[in-house]
Amino acid sequence: MQVFKLFMKILKKNIFTSMIYVIVFVAISIPMSRSAASDSNFKDTPMTIAVFDEDDTPESKALVEFIGRKHKLKELENDKDKIMQALYFETVDYVLIINDGYSEKLAGDASDGMFSTYHIHDSYATVMVSQLLDSYVSSVRAYTAGGMDISSAQESAAEAVLTEAEVTVVRSKGTEDFSESTSAHFRYMTYILISVIINALCPVLLKLGKKEFRFRTNCSCMKPITYSVAVFAGSTLFIALLWIALMVVSVIQNGGMFKGYAWFAVLNSFIYTLVCTSIALLICAFEPSDTVVNLMTQIIGLGSSFLCGVFIPQSMLGDGVLAAAKFMPTYWYVKVVEMLSGSEVFDGKRLAAYLLIECGFAAALLLIALVVNRMKYTSTAIRLPKLAPETQE
Amino acid sequence: MEKTVVKIDNLVKRYGELVALDHFSLEIKEGEIFGLLGPNGSGKTTTINCLLSLLSFDKGSIEIFGKKMTPVSYDIKKDIGVVMQNVVVSDELTVYENIDYFCGLYITDKKLRKQYVEEAVKFVGLDDFTKFYPKKLSGGLLRRLNIACGIAHKPKLIILDEPTVAVDPQSRNKILEGIQELNKNGVTIIYTSHYMEEVEQICTRIAIMDKGRKVAEGTKDELKRMIKNTETISIEALGLGEDVLAEMRALPHVYDVKYDEKLLVISCSGGKHNLIRALEVLQKRELGFGRVYSELPTLNEVFLEITGKALRDKEE
Repeated sequence: MQVFKLFMKILKKNIFTSMIYVIVFVAISIPMSRSAASDSNFKDTPMTIAVFDEDDTPESKALVEFIGRKHKLKELENDKDKIMQALYFETVDYVLIINDGYSEKLAGDASDGMFSTYHIHDSYATVMVSQLLDSYVSSVRAYTAGGMDISSAQESAAEAVLTEAEVTVVRSKGTEDFSESTSAHFRYMTYILISVIINALCPVLLKLGKKEFRFRTNCSCMKPITYSVAVFAGSTLFIALLWIALMVVSVIQNGGMFKGYAWFAVLNSFIYTLVCTSIALLICAFEPSDTVVNLMTQIIGLGSSFLCGVFIPQSMLGDGVLAAAKFMPTYWYVKVVEMLSGSEVFDGKRLAAYLLIECGFAAALLLIALVVNRMKYTSTAIRLPKLAPETQE
Repeated sequence: MEKTVVKIDNLVKRYGELVALDHFSLEIKEGEIFGLLGPNGSGKTTTINCLLSLLSFDKGSIEIFGKKMTPVSYDIKKDIGVVMQNVVVSDELTVYENIDYFCGLYITDKKLRKQYVEEAVKFVGLDDFTKFYPKKLSGGLLRRLNIACGIAHKPKLIILDEPTVAVDPQSRNKILEGIQELNKNGVTIIYTSHYMEEVEQICTRIAIMDKGRKVAEGTKDELKRMIKNTETISIEALGLGEDVLAEMRALPHVYDVKYDEKLLVISCSGGKHNLIRALEVLQKRELGFGRVYSELPTLNEVFLEITGKALRDKEE
């Protein structure tokens, strides 16, 4: 009990800095998850466009009206400096000048010289407005070629181009229970788990495992196994509470208890927690200073998160990065999350394989930590004296 | 008949090729303050670590309270208090909590522990600092806390490994008085230190170690008799001639005479009335003299003569 109490006291002193990670995570992940949840349906975003009609014909006026139905029109002085300024400060996304002779060119086949534009090079607004104008002009010409008069053709073209298709994200069967917000939560949780476990647990284990402290305790009548059990109990309690707290946050975010495939994510996070604990134990085996522990927290936490697709989806990472990431447990954790969120087709066997790989990492890291500890204490380990035969009498 | 508390027999401890303890034997009786002296690397700390079963050994045996000591001798360990050379406390616990923690490793009864911790706090004079964290304590107070952590559970045998390193004279005096008080209450003490005057002041018996072996053992007087120089006579006198010095050298038990125009130093080996004989030589020649001193050898001289004056660069 003495050692367990001491464990908790040391942990209490170190927990504050670690809790900052959790607080920041909760503060950021809840709004992010909500925004992720609201993105399941797509909607057009209107842009701000300034139009100068130099043609001033019914055709050009119909075009202006058409643009106004989809985007916001903004009045702007026809001065090059002011136009450039408006684009620079993003008060307009695109500036369109309908050149004189537009109506004649619309009736004919030539498209060159119909419009002059001011836009930000390679911006999404440029692409979208150019596509819109092309579609409109092509549609008007198609309708007039079909025998419609220009006025009706413009009306029909506007209707056709402005027709909106309803877009819904199609999810793999069974993954409906794993919402976007839950997916985001489980994805970002890796960074928190690894950072908090290393940052909070390592200093405690290092202090309690310090050679002089162990020697002093071994001088007492406390059995080493009692000491180890107390440290194990303290570590288990801390890790379990941290994991449960993160699960509770997820349930709150989710607006209800986990359902269906979401339980795989819970299992995945539990296994990943064990991986993080093994990493912390391995770090402790090398007896680093507090500064090195902090450094390791950042390197391992941020490094694995960026390389393994926590902050950026794995589909956006390069092949080389992914090939290297396969040697990190976080990669396999994220693979499970991506499978459950529908980015990868759900396959039970593959999911089990991913989880087993994570378990393998946890076991391997733990084993290395034990070997390092064993090697470290070989020279000073407490062993029963090997008495020579003549002195045993 | 005094009971034997610690019996080390023929202990051998090797670190690879290095022999840290070379057939080392020792017997400590109940109620003694036993001083373990030796230069750096002589094997003092190794002896203590073997005694506490923190280190295995290659040969020999250790008995404490008449029972064989092994790493699982928890019934023996409960009666041993240890004050390590380095201060071993937790920075996250207050003074009171630290003493309670270490006492709790031996005493599970909360009520009894509370009483013991309070007594230990009072004993080392940390009453005003119970709520302080170790980082706020001075070196002397830290040492006292270290001692309190080692003795709070009221052990019958206390091992103090250089407990007064880097403390001021006041704190050192307080610590030494405390050790003597513990001893008066029947506690057997093993004390290692580099400070000879401390050992001379408090230890009833002393063993000097060198290169893993016991090179001398006995009370301080017995040790002093072991060395060549048993008395140093210093006489302030002016203008002594070579004939006077020659007569001094010819006196019985005198083995060395030094004179620097002002001070005559005569080193004697054994014998009685050496001072009277030296003064008679001066009186006979009607030579005046000033202050006269007769000094017995210090433990430091005993130590240096036994272990040699060569520097020891190997740390234990």
